[in-house]
Amino acid sequence: MKASRELFQKEVRQVLAGRCVKCHGGDKVESEFDLNTREALLRGGAGGSAINLEQVQESRLLALIEHRDEPRMPANAARLPDRQIAAIRQWIELGAAYDRPLIEKDASPDAWIARRIDPSQREFWSFRSLATVEVPDAPLADWGQNAIDRFVGQSLQQQSLTPSPPADKRALVRRLYFDLIGLPPSREEVEAFMADRSPNAYEALVDRLLESPHYGERWARHWLDAVRFAESHGFEQDYDRPHAYHYRDFVIWALNSGMPFDQFIRWQLAGDEWAPEDVQAWKATGFLGAGVFPTQLTEKEFESARYDELDDMIATIGTSMLGLTVGCARCHDHKFDPIPASDYYRLVANFTSAIRSNLELDLDAESSRRAISEWEQRHAPLAEELRAFESQQLGSRFEAWLSETRRKLAAGEAVPMADTPWIIASAAEAISKGGAVLTPQADGSFLATGANADFDTYTFVISTKASSITALRLEAMAHESMARRGPGRAENGNFGLGRIRVEAGPLEGTDPLAPVPIARARATFQQDGGNLSIASSLDDNPRSGWAVDPQFGKDHAAVFELAQPIQHAAGARIRVTLEFTVNNRHNIGRPRLAITRSSAADVAIDGAAQSQEMVDVAAVLAGKGELNEAQRDLLLRWYRSSDPEWKQRHDKLAASLAAKPVARLTPVMVVTEGRKPIPHHADDRGFPHFYPETHFLKRGDIAQKQGVARAGFLQLLDGRLGDTEESPWRFAAPSDAKSSYRRREFSSWITDAERGAGALLARVIVNRLWQHHFGRGIVATPNDFGAQGERPTHPELLEWLAGELLANGWKLKPLHKLIVGSAAYQQAAAARPDCLTADPENRWVWRHSPRRLEAESIRDAMLAVSGGLDRTLFGPGTLDENHKRRSIYFMIKRSRLIPAMQIFDAPEPLVSIGERPSTTVAPQALMFMNSTLVRTTAREFAQRVIAANNAAGDFPEAWIRDGYLRALARSPAEGELKAGSRFLLQQSERYQEAGQSAARDAALTDFCQVLLGLNEFIYTE
Amino acid sequence: MSLALENACHPDRRDWLRRAGGGAGLLGLAALLQDTGLLGTGLRPAQAAGGKSTTPLAPKPSHFAARAKRVIWLFINGGPSHVDTWDFKPELQKRDGQELPGFDRFTGFFANAVGPLMKSPFNFQPQGECGKPVSEIFPHLSRHVDKMAFIHSLFAKSNNHSPALFMMNTGFTQMGYPCVGSWTTYGLGSESKDLPAFVVMSDPLGRGLPKGYSLNWGAGFLPSVYQGTWLKPQGDPIDNLFRAKEMNDVQQRAQLDLLRELNLGHQARHPADDEFSTRIESFELAYRMQSAAPEAMDVDREPEHVRKLYGIDQEKCAHFARQCLIARRMIERGVRFVQIYSGGMENQRSWDGHSDIHGNHTQFALETDQPIAALLQDLEQRGLLDDTLVIWGGEFGRLPVAQKSDKPGRDHNPHALTFWLAGGGVKGGTSFGATDDVGHKAAVDPVDVHDLHATILHLMGLNHERLTFNLNGRDFRLTDVSGNVITPIIA
Repeated sequence: MKASRELFQKEVRQVLAGRCVKCHGGDKVESEFDLNTREALLRGGAGGSAINLEQVQESRLLALIEHRDEPRMPANAARLPDRQIAAIRQWIELGAAYDRPLIEKDASPDAWIARRIDPSQREFWSFRSLATVEVPDAPLADWGQNAIDRFVGQSLQQQSLTPSPPADKRALVRRLYFDLIGLPPSREEVEAFMADRSPNAYEALVDRLLESPHYGERWARHWLDAVRFAESHGFEQDYDRPHAYHYRDFVIWALNSGMPFDQFIRWQLAGDEWAPEDVQAWKATGFLGAGVFPTQLTEKEFESARYDELDDMIATIGTSMLGLTVGCARCHDHKFDPIPASDYYRLVANFTSAIRSNLELDLDAESSRRAISEWEQRHAPLAEELRAFESQQLGSRFEAWLSETRRKLAAGEAVPMADTPWIIASAAEAISKGGAVLTPQADGSFLATGANADFDTYTFVISTKASSITALRLEAMAHESMARRGPGRAENGNFGLGRIRVEAGPLEGTDPLAPVPIARARATFQQDGGNLSIASSLDDNPRSGWAVDPQFGKDHAAVFELAQPIQHAAGARIRVTLEFTVNNRHNIGRPRLAITRSSAADVAIDGAAQSQEMVDVAAVLAGKGELNEAQRDLLLRWYRSSDPEWKQRHDKLAASLAAKPVARLTPVMVVTEGRKPIPHHADDRGFPHFYPETHFLKRGDIAQKQGVARAGFLQLLDGRLGDTEESPWRFAAPSDAKSSYRRREFSSWITDAERGAGALLARVIVNRLWQHHFGRGIVATPNDFGAQGERPTHPELLEWLAGELLANGWKLKPLHKLIVGSAAYQQAAAARPDCLTADPENRWVWRHSPRRLEAESIRDAMLAVSGGLDRTLFGPGTLDENHKRRSIYFMIKRSRLIPAMQIFDAPEPLVSIGERPSTTVAPQALMFMNSTLVRTTAREFAQRVIAANNAAGDFPEAWIRDGYLRALARSPAEGELKAGSRFLLQQSERYQEAGQSAARDAALTDFCQVLLGLNEFIYTE
Repeated sequence: MSLALENACHPDRRDWLRRAGGGAGLLGLAALLQDTGLLGTGLRPAQAAGGKSTTPLAPKPSHFAARAKRVIWLFINGGPSHVDTWDFKPELQKRDGQELPGFDRFTGFFANAVGPLMKSPFNFQPQGECGKPVSEIFPHLSRHVDKMAFIHSLFAKSNNHSPALFMMNTGFTQMGYPCVGSWTTYGLGSESKDLPAFVVMSDPLGRGLPKGYSLNWGAGFLPSVYQGTWLKPQGDPIDNLFRAKEMNDVQQRAQLDLLRELNLGHQARHPADDEFSTRIESFELAYRMQSAAPEAMDVDREPEHVRKLYGIDQEKCAHFARQCLIARRMIERGVRFVQIYSGGMENQRSWDGHSDIHGNHTQFALETDQPIAALLQDLEQRGLLDDTLVIWGGEFGRLPVAQKSDKPGRDHNPHALTFWLAGGGVKGGTSFGATDDVGHKAAVDPVDVHDLHATILHLMGLNHERLTFNLNGRDFRLTDVSGNVITPIIA
């Protein structure tokens, strides 16, 4: 029975579950025949017993599936493959054992939530821990470079196949360039390689290409397919995500920098929780948010849209990282792999509160840090100079000045300090309606910190002894605490003063304050002359008002001239109300108020100001009184600003301070928790972006919630002992954390090769590397390592490669080097008839299969050959089809995919794609014949050839030779040279006959276009 | 293939194409090319190195005998009102002005503009032998009701344009799934080698694309060769279709001859790898496509009486007439699937009659009535209707209650809509299913969009449960996990 059960697990279950049980025990029980369990199977159905354990061939089930009898099964479908029928027969012969029912049927409606998988289900080849594999002894004499070849050689021998001879050097160098960097070698690079006779010439070239920045561009593209990367939301409006390209840049950068693959994965899942100080870690989280999301939602769709979004994350993680179709377990237990639906919701729960945000980040923090430290070195001596002056000289200079001032006062002369137009109004009360903390500063301003409400209102109550007040000044002052140093608290440093109200009454008494109309206002700067002008802060429209974009990082001021002076003989109480109604969170960060007694229309907006205290000091001195400590100190501070010696030192310091380098911030789309979500159309209808808890959903239906799902992992890849053991991956969130750190825990699990999913993660990525080097994975279904996927052709090699990856610290580049260093990789491409018959798909790697370049490489290669390629790395993409950068820098807008990419099988970025098809259709040929891209490229290519071969006598042979070397890395054969010459001469004549002036150039353009159109140009061999 | 034969085949391409298009009638270009031996390797599914077919558009056998070989889907975009077109409701006349009890005001899009029941502003008269009552807005089409099988009990899944459009085209309300035309060409390949297999035409009067844009004819996760070719209403209709201006035919032919010669030399070194010869052939096909596609779209080649029949001389319907005529010329030449959208985006730019249902539907009926009627007649006369499936329908129906407005309209109704099918394998003059008395919901024999899709595939000889594509371990279908063929409408 054990053998029968094993066969059931290995082959039979899949057939019965996939082809039979739906109608026989699942949704229905056709002909009263149920094969969900062994008991039911033995019971048989309306047609009698189904299997005969004694005389197996007599079994009705076999008769029907072998089409020996009617009704033929499966109904309305092709006959099962012979291999499957044979397996079923053998299984019956062995006793028809089940390990468990085909479909779990639940006793209680929420039993599914508690479902535990059977530990034996972890024994499937891809779910096991990594095994230590011995490299086989060299099975093929005289063949092989490294361990890979011994595995491949062993398989070839077992299949009675023989390896192909090595490819010639020119073919090999071209193959290597396209595989590693996705670009062709230049003519010079080929010549240099051909000339290098040293034994390690090839290895040196491999090293050089792996260090090329273009390596990352090439291999990032493979990964971007697997993670459905795009830069728009999709759906109805397909809005752009202009800050999403940073994720693509992260992938390129990480691959180039040789980042270990486990870290590469951890950062994509939880970079914000692993390395919040590193901008690359933030960029990496774009992975989670690269999927589609509808921008037009009705209330009924809010929650289901969020579950769809979470499903997109989990399904993509499953296929791209683990080769598991986890998404299939959303509505029911996975049909083929041991993934209960409840596991699905536990996985989803790790991402419950993760949403897309745009954060302003310093993309080059290293440079910023360096600049600041350099500045600090320049700044420190200036600070020291001022400090020394103040401690050594300022005191005596002040004393001298004070006695001189007293003398002048005694003599009835004017002294300047009592004579400033503005008196700073120190408010007795300062209140923010929106909950900001307004802290008084030494200069009379208030610094707003804490809450920054959407539309805050500040109220200040001022007391003054001044008997007549003609105007009010509001300053909005810069401060380090604000974005771009303010002066507003909005994300860009702006503010918007929608309305200002002034009320006043006598200082003493309880009379209610009366409104004071404002006649006019003027400001140091206003954003425009219309809705963002100072005047518009006086109108009735709350959405218009004073703003100062783009003059950030400096102080601004506005004067409000009162229609009638406030006149109260004994002084006044004044309430000033500032309403920031123009835009969300556009509140002034550091306001200061001042009053004046001067003529309202004439008073200078930037006129000097002093505090009421200074006015008092002046009065004391005038009355020959003694100053107290505080007044003395105040006067000293006032004095020093008029002392040229102090001022000169102070100004130098202030100038230096103002020149302190500021980090340049760039918006980056990230996925994180606790930050502001990207705005959505439905925000004003209460769209929450996420729900605080993930529920178990029966049949994936939000109307059928069955309890809250706690974050967890896949049982089948959870190597902990029992359920009770604590998660070894837990990470206590720091006290100031905005996020839950659940994703960090999850990412630790997925990369843990000992007790988590790391072994599978390693198998999947080494298989991807193999696939992109050989055109076919060791597992031919790179996104499905489950029961429905293909089995590995070289299981031990895959296991060994995964082990190598771990042994060298998850670094990918050494693995590339190992693979391209193998004799298996360096084989010639020619098809040998005997091997081709035996193994047409080249599963056993008896040659190097010729492969068509991918869409990006086709275009990049044309640009490179024509000399037009712009090799700039990184940065925003473009939809301009005529741009000259590598194709990975096309912006990927879901509704405007680039035709030249699509036509050559670039996938739609909707779900994870592990393998592109390689189709050949006429529209591709039309592109090579007629497109602007190819014609332009051919023209530039021709110009390049002409420039390099100016001697007219060389026409046409030298030109042809040059074209071949540039395009194909080889010289033309005799026949090719002849055909090319004949064409160039005749085509020139034709153009001449047609009256074209530069007939020879035109003919050469046509010839260069032919080179680009050659099969040899877009295939590697 | 020798160059001599190549040239012999089309010494004068115009003449050659006339033979293919006009004289040869049903004979698609592929058949012609096969006869002359031109498609030697092209039609044979070649094996790429990875074992995958590199000629994905090669004709493939259907699962069983097909009743229809090709489809023309007239997509009545924006949601035509069934109760004002084909689904006559006497009860609605009677109850005009009354409240509809129990009506959920969130059914449509504008919950705050719900009015009472509103009778159709149009007269209905029985037509044809079957006596089908038809709205007066279809004076031409009403003469063809005996060719049509009506499905009145269809219901949609969404009350929002783009999800409903996606549902109708792909079977899913989410974006990114392959559409019916893609599934069909994936299943059957193409009969035409020098025209696209699947062609889409949209509003040429500047009223925009249907909501959700090109995703409505996208191939989703199927290889991109199966996506619809959108004939752009402005500029070159197909990318790269025309030779560069500085080059003439002789020059291009000479260039392609050199390309061919050099590629054949390369192929001689790789005789076993079929994909190289497939690509060599693809250039020949592309070369022919340069003239075949413009020829197929050139309705000026049609005789005067045919042009008049479609209404090309009528200002109101000239644009749609032209598209219907192109559709006929396309399917004549072996194109598998043609979809024409009537109207552009929402509101008055399509059949989306939120306000003034009378004016809206009068206008769009006028734009399409004569051309579609002519298409049916023309197909019939040419013997093409027997194996061409013509489909009329949009993304949802409209409500029997008024949407309040200066001139009242009707809001979206996902609960009921009418489709008609005609031609290939369809039982004409039948009506399947019914809505309730006022046309609010599908009431008798309700069928969903999957059932409609299953029926279309069935008529094409495809079993919707067997037409699958494995993506990341799951077998996807156009009909997801449901779908029943609506057999009563099949002849």
